[in-house]
Amino acid sequence: MAANRRTSQRLTLVMLVLASVTVLTLDYHGQASHAITDVRNAVRDAISPIQRGIAAVLHPVGDVFSGTINYGSLETQNQQLRRELGEIRLKLAADAYASAEAGRVLSLANLPFVAGVPLITSEVIGNSPSNFQSTVELDTGTSSGVGPGMPVVANAGLVGSVVTASSSTATVLLVNDPTSSIPVTVGTTGLYRAVGAGYGRPLTLDYVAGSTAVHRGELIYSSGLGGGAILAGIPVGIVSAVRVSAEGLVTTVTATPKVDLNDLQFVDVLEWLEPG
Amino acid sequence: MTGSSWARLALVVAIGLVLQVAVLDDVTVAGAHPDLMVLIAACAGMTAGSQRGAIAGFTAGLAADLVVNLPYGLSPLTFVLVGFGTGLVRANLAGRDDERTQAAACAVAAGAGTLLYALLGALTGHSGMVGLVTVSAVVVVTAGAAVLSWPVLRSLQWVFAGSRDQLGLVVPRGGSAG
Repeated sequence: MAANRRTSQRLTLVMLVLASVTVLTLDYHGQASHAITDVRNAVRDAISPIQRGIAAVLHPVGDVFSGTINYGSLETQNQQLRRELGEIRLKLAADAYASAEAGRVLSLANLPFVAGVPLITSEVIGNSPSNFQSTVELDTGTSSGVGPGMPVVANAGLVGSVVTASSSTATVLLVNDPTSSIPVTVGTTGLYRAVGAGYGRPLTLDYVAGSTAVHRGELIYSSGLGGGAILAGIPVGIVSAVRVSAEGLVTTVTATPKVDLNDLQFVDVLEWLEPG
Repeated sequence: MTGSSWARLALVVAIGLVLQVAVLDDVTVAGAHPDLMVLIAACAGMTAGSQRGAIAGFTAGLAADLVVNLPYGLSPLTFVLVGFGTGLVRANLAGRDDERTQAAACAVAAGAGTLLYALLGALTGHSGMVGLVTVSAVVVVTAGAAVLSWPVLRSLQWVFAGSRDQLGLVVPRGGSAG
């Protein structure tokens, strides 16, 4: 009797493991993968109203507590921001010509440029459902014009790109995700890839030769070139450390993401897709 | 498993998934959050034995993978092993299966399941799942499971109430068998 029970248990285990492996295999095949994606999108659409409702309640509650505790510093910060806004408006007027020139030069090289691309403002309604991915969920989806591959920005910096989109939600892969790899340039020189390394860890730049002149504090921009490219000219990060190997052949460059990825509430999706 | 057990399991898994996505995903420490779905698999094995634990784990895993962007099937594979493993642990806890011990065992199983998930994910090509992120995920999932295991155990006891576990003992309402 006990032996029969053990045999039955092991048989159940083997069958379920085989079923799981079968499902995994099916996900790697085109047709079944599309069906699985459709089901996933339907589930996201079903759950998103609850996410939105909870976000609508918790965000203001959190803001009340934060505002009460930080009122003094918020007032100081407000005054500083007003001052900076005035300076930026003056600078914008002066940069308008330079921006138009840059757009003309880039268009000659068939490179997309961020200025003038329509934006879809979205609210972050959820963090990553997995502990092994850096993603956020947005409250806009295909019905609002959001699609996979579109870059996402906030606070004048790159947040990531849309990886999946259902009718009413979208999932954004953040720049610090280990699978994120963005073609970038440092200042206006060089072509590298900024690779994520997970939560709280800096981005790493690949393909940096030992002789490359990269300095701490330099801004890193999207280059608009290479596979998986996004629009050129979007700030991605700030160089935080530069280390040259003993032989001088390899330079290891790390960068802090331009955007605080732990404090995202509203972002803009750029209505642009990589051609071809 | 009876029809009513299936219906209750589906309900518990659905509610667990909604709570996970809508609430627990935003409770982050060091970039990681508690994982209710792996805990459901662990508690199912602890409550109703390895066979039913594996079945419940498979079900919870199918649901959990609907909301992530990793290979579909990774969670069912992991949770089957977690549910089966805790069922075996349960069978060997004779004389020490009070609620506190069960809850502790489920918390440890949830953490072990998270580690197994990362290892299996690395085997399927996602090498970034193994690293410092694994440590924080295991710690946070285990701590979260320690807090949540009692209500989840109660829920799974309700799911399997009236059915027989692997020892042929009836799982009564509100308490474990044996």
